[in-house]
This record gives sequence, C-alpha cells and structure tokens, in this order.
Amino acid sequence: MSDTAPPQAARILIVEDLASQAELARIFLAGLGYQVRIAATAGAALDEVESWQPDGLLLDIELPDFNGLELLNKLHAQGCDAVVVVVTASASMELAKQAIRAGAEDFVVKPYNKDRLSLTLRNALERRALERQTQVMESQLNDTQTRLQQAEARLGRAGFASFVGASEKMRAVYEIIQGVAPSKASVFITGESGTGKELAAEALHKSSPRAAKKFIALNCGAIPRDLLESEVFGHVKGAFTGATSDRVGAAKLADGGTLFLDEIGEMPLEMQVKLLRFVQTGTFSPVGASRTEKVDVRFVCATNRDPLLEVQAGRFREDLYYRLYVVPLELPPLRERGDDILRIARHFLGQFSKEEHKRFRGFSPEAERLLMEYAWPGNVRQLQNVVRNVIVLHDSDLVTPAMIPPPVSRAGAGPRLAAPPRVPEPVRPPAPAQSPESAESVESALEIAPSVQVVPAAPEAVIAAPSYDAPPPERLPPTPVAPWSMPAEEIEIIPLAEMERRLVMAAIARTGNDIPRAAALLEINPSTVYRKVNAWRQEGLIPQ
Amino acid sequence: MNSLQMQCDGADMVLPPPFAELAAELSPEDYRHVLGLLRADVSRLMNDIAQAARADDATAFRRAAHGLAGAAGTVGAEDLAKASREAMAPADTSAWLVGATARLRALAADLLDDIAQAEVGTGPDGAHAPR
Repeated sequence: MSDTAPPQAARILIVEDLASQAELARIFLAGLGYQVRIAATAGAALDEVESWQPDGLLLDIELPDFNGLELLNKLHAQGCDAVVVVVTASASMELAKQAIRAGAEDFVVKPYNKDRLSLTLRNALERRALERQTQVMESQLNDTQTRLQQAEARLGRAGFASFVGASEKMRAVYEIIQGVAPSKASVFITGESGTGKELAAEALHKSSPRAAKKFIALNCGAIPRDLLESEVFGHVKGAFTGATSDRVGAAKLADGGTLFLDEIGEMPLEMQVKLLRFVQTGTFSPVGASRTEKVDVRFVCATNRDPLLEVQAGRFREDLYYRLYVVPLELPPLRERGDDILRIARHFLGQFSKEEHKRFRGFSPEAERLLMEYAWPGNVRQLQNVVRNVIVLHDSDLVTPAMIPPPVSRAGAGPRLAAPPRVPEPVRPPAPAQSPESAESVESALEIAPSVQVVPAAPEAVIAAPSYDAPPPERLPPTPVAPWSMPAEEIEIIPLAEMERRLVMAAIARTGNDIPRAAALLEINPSTVYRKVNAWRQEGLIPQ
Repeated sequence: MNSLQMQCDGADMVLPPPFAELAAELSPEDYRHVLGLLRADVSRLMNDIAQAARADDATAFRRAAHGLAGAAGTVGAEDLAKASREAMAPADTSAWLVGATARLRALAADLLDDIAQAEVGTGPDGAHAPR
C-alpha cells in the first residue's frame, strides 16, 4: 500500500451541508480509490450509516439539523464502529477534545488539501483496523484459553462431565463422547458392571444439542417382559388388566432428547422386533392404541455383555444390532485405569466425608497401596461402596488399612486378583422377592460385586444403570402392581427384625450391590444400610 | 486578495495562490464544478447570515458564519475566513450581529468576485482560466 492508498477501498461517508466542501472532499477521496457517499444532514447520515455501513465518516461539526458531536453520540449509541474524522473551520482545541471524547478518531481543520485529508483518513482507518485486529486476536486468544481450560478439565484431574479420572483409557472415552455428542448417531456402550455406562450415556446427552430435552433411562433387564412394551411405548386405558389409565412411555418422554436403553441384551426377542421398527421409523404405537406416534429420539444403549456374541448366540437380533451399534464406546474396568483408582477414591472420600460430617482428609500411603493392588471386580461402584463403608464406620484424618474392609484389605497379602469373567450371565430369580438365602449368596454385598448379576423379577419401571457420582436421571413412575394385596394367610409371618434384614439384603442384591440405590428403594439413608449390614455381619447373621 | 503570476502550459496566468493550489489538485471540469458550488454556497451563507442578523438569531448566525469560514478557507480567502471565525464568537446584541454582517458582506463580495474571475479567467486570452 502506498502512503496515500486507501485501506481496501474503504467506504467513506462525507457528512457536510456545504455542497462545495462536500464535493471537494468527494473528488479528493474518490480520486484516491475510496467509495464515497455524501449526507447533507445529520439525519441523512444516520440513515446512510444504517443502510450503507461505511468504514469511516468525514464529519463536519456544524450541521443544519443537529450538532456533529450529537451525531457522534447517536452513532456510538446505535453501535456504529465506523472511524470518524471531524472536519471543522474552527481550530479550537476544546472542540477537538470534545470530538475525541465523543469517539472521533482524529480532527482536521479546513482548509485542507488532498494529501492532508488522505493521510489523516488513512491513518485513522489503519489505527481502527489495528484495533479491530487486536480485538479479534484477543478474542481468539481468550477462546483458545477457554478451550485449553476445557480440554485440561476434560483430560486432567477434573475428569469429564460426572466422570472422575485422567487415565489414558478414560481420556479416549472422553474424546469419543465429545466427538459423537453433537450427532444423532446411536451409541452402544459396553463395559463391566460398575464402570459407569449410564454416566457415559448422560455425558453424551448433556454434551449434545439435546441437552435441554429429557434423558430417559430404561433398564431393560429390570422390567418384566410383559411390561416392557408398555414401559417403552406407553399404553392406553384398558389395554390390559391393571391399565386403569393412559400412560406415557419412555419413547414419548424422550422426544427431542435421549433414550438410554440399559441392559439391552436382556430385552426379549419379540420386543426387539418392535424396538427395531421404532429405531427405523421413529414411530410407535402405545399398547392397545390404534394410532401411531412419531418422535425424535437419540438412542444410546448399554450392555455388560459382548453384543456380537449375543447376536451369534441368537439372543440379540442382528438387524437391531447393526441399527444400534453405530458408535461403540467401551468403558475400561477400574483395574485398568491406574491412578484413577486413587483419584476416584479421594473424590468419594471428600464427598462422603462432607455428607457424613467426618474429618477424613485422605488415605495413608499403606491404604492407598491396598486400593491400588486390589482388582476391583465391581469397578467404580465397588470402590464407592468401600469408601462409603469406611466413612460411615470410622472418623479420623486419614484412612488407614485397618479401616478398609475385606476383601480389599487382603489385597496386599497375595498377588493381584485376576479380572473377573468378562461377561457375567444374568440369572432371573424365580420369585418376585428374594429369599434371605439368595440375597446372602451375593458375595459380601458391600465390598464385592457378584459373580452372578441378579436381575430383579419384580416390576421396577425404570432402574438407572450404576451411577457413582451423578444425580439420578429422569425416572418413569413405577407401573402399578399390588403385591401387598396378597391374602393375609399367604403372607409368611416372621420376626420384624428378620423381615427388615431380608428386605435390606434383597434391595442390595436387586440393585447389584449399589448401596445408595438400595437405600433409595428402601427410602432410608445409605449410612443406615451400611451400619445395619455391618452389625448383622458382626452378629454372624450374614456372611463376612 | 494578492495574485500570483505563474507559468502553466507555457502560458502566463495569474491566480490567487489558493485558487492555484486547488486548480492543481483538480481536473478542469472538477475545478469549475467546485467553484460553481462554492459561489452558490457563499451567496447562500451570506443570505443566511443577513437573515439571522435580522432575526437576532445568534445560533443561526454562528452556524452560517462557521460555514462561511470553511468555504472561504478553501480558496484562501483568509480575511473572510478570519472575520467569519470572529463572528462565530458569542454575540450579545443585535447591533453586533448587524455590524459583523456588514463586514462579512463586504469580504464575501470580494470573494465572489475572485471566484467569478477564477471561473472565467482574468485575461482576454483566458490564460489563467482553469486548465
């Protein structure tokens, strides 16, 4: 650019009521390559600024309708960021100061020649361009810093969404969630029990454009097969015995949001056909209804089985598998997450200490070694239960090995436990409520995940998947059932304390050893569950 | 206004210096066009000044005087520009406005003569007419 060349053929509005002065400036500026328009009044100038959006104004102070300084204020008020050079016949310094204070970039006194005008205007435009460039760069810098902070939060100690952990494997999980969240693609989450599959589903939902809509979680394994269709699609009054009113299903509730189908491998084949149609078309019919409804739902599924093996075994439809298995997301077991074990343990220690009003500040090095050496077959949920157990039963500054319950406390005695079988097979108990024996058959309900996952037979409308530090998702109200309407003579009368023990252990077993969820079902505090179970164990009423 | 003898295109022509500068920066068509507009502006402004003085409207007087100062400065009419700037000072009495108007009118008449002269040329050969 030469000394007098205009910056990128800028648009200049000359605001001048004297035709000779306006024309002279126009000739000068047009000859220099500027695009030029003239406004003879302040009102006309406001209109031109609005419609033409000039880069600069050459503004005479004295205008017929109102003062040029007033015009400057009005332009500023309406967000005009054009550079303004004030032109006047009065060389008053006070006027110049007023003009600069009002937002003018520079000031030129008549008479001026072409070079003077050109230099003043060009300098003013370049200064403004530099200011804008600086603003853009500062904005980009701020944006970059924000993204860096977000990335650090995502990948660093803070974890991601409700996850805690910064191991390489979890970073990969966070990246996949971030990458796939904006799309509508179905996500198929796999991982052992307690690895946080529902947390991943919720993180997907919250990171997606659907975050403002509902996240509906449905545990396919927790719902009796004859009620599953109603839970998913809803029903109309009279559709079946007990359907005393219309009921909206999960599909409708999740319209615009995300439908999380946990334990999808537990879904009966006949229901899989109906789900396939729903996934393909987005339409469904409530049970007993003749109408169809269309919704916009994103599907997220989860299972702790190998879905392809399920397909090969004929337990999962291949066409449904390919419809849902668009983006696979595998959650690593806790034993493969290295220092995440301690990060998560410290996270729970802080959270539960606060809840229970305890003094704990951390783990002793020996206690940390125990935690690191244990295999955690129940994954994060098991770690959560162990930390909760410690906090409920003790109070100190540091968690010591003596406070840690077995079998974790025995971790240092021998070689690290091997990983549990990859795919636990679910077993359905025969009765709606579990017997004490079946509940007690769960290996040490507080410390270790069962080798066999017990799936409740009693109806439980929506049971969320394991969640170790996130608020519960939207839950459907339970389907009305009436087990309490049994005739009195058919109810076994036993001591109340034993009934309490049976009920508590059944709740623990039914929730897959998720103490907070068991406590929620029982509508008591988790601490109460820990205390009771610990007391029963000490009394020999339940196995160690 | 003092005149300046200068060489232009091999011919002598006499132009007041500011006029010459203006002529040097503009094409002949633009120069003539601007002079025409300038003449019209000065005439209108003088009318505005006179009307404002008669109406004892100091604000209108000051605004017109400001315009006249700028117009006069364009072609180096320093006396008129200076008088116009002085006339922009706050005036208390209509007598002051009338007096200022009389002075401006005389100076403006000189300028209008100069403009007319510049537009048509000073000599019979039109040597200092716009190129």
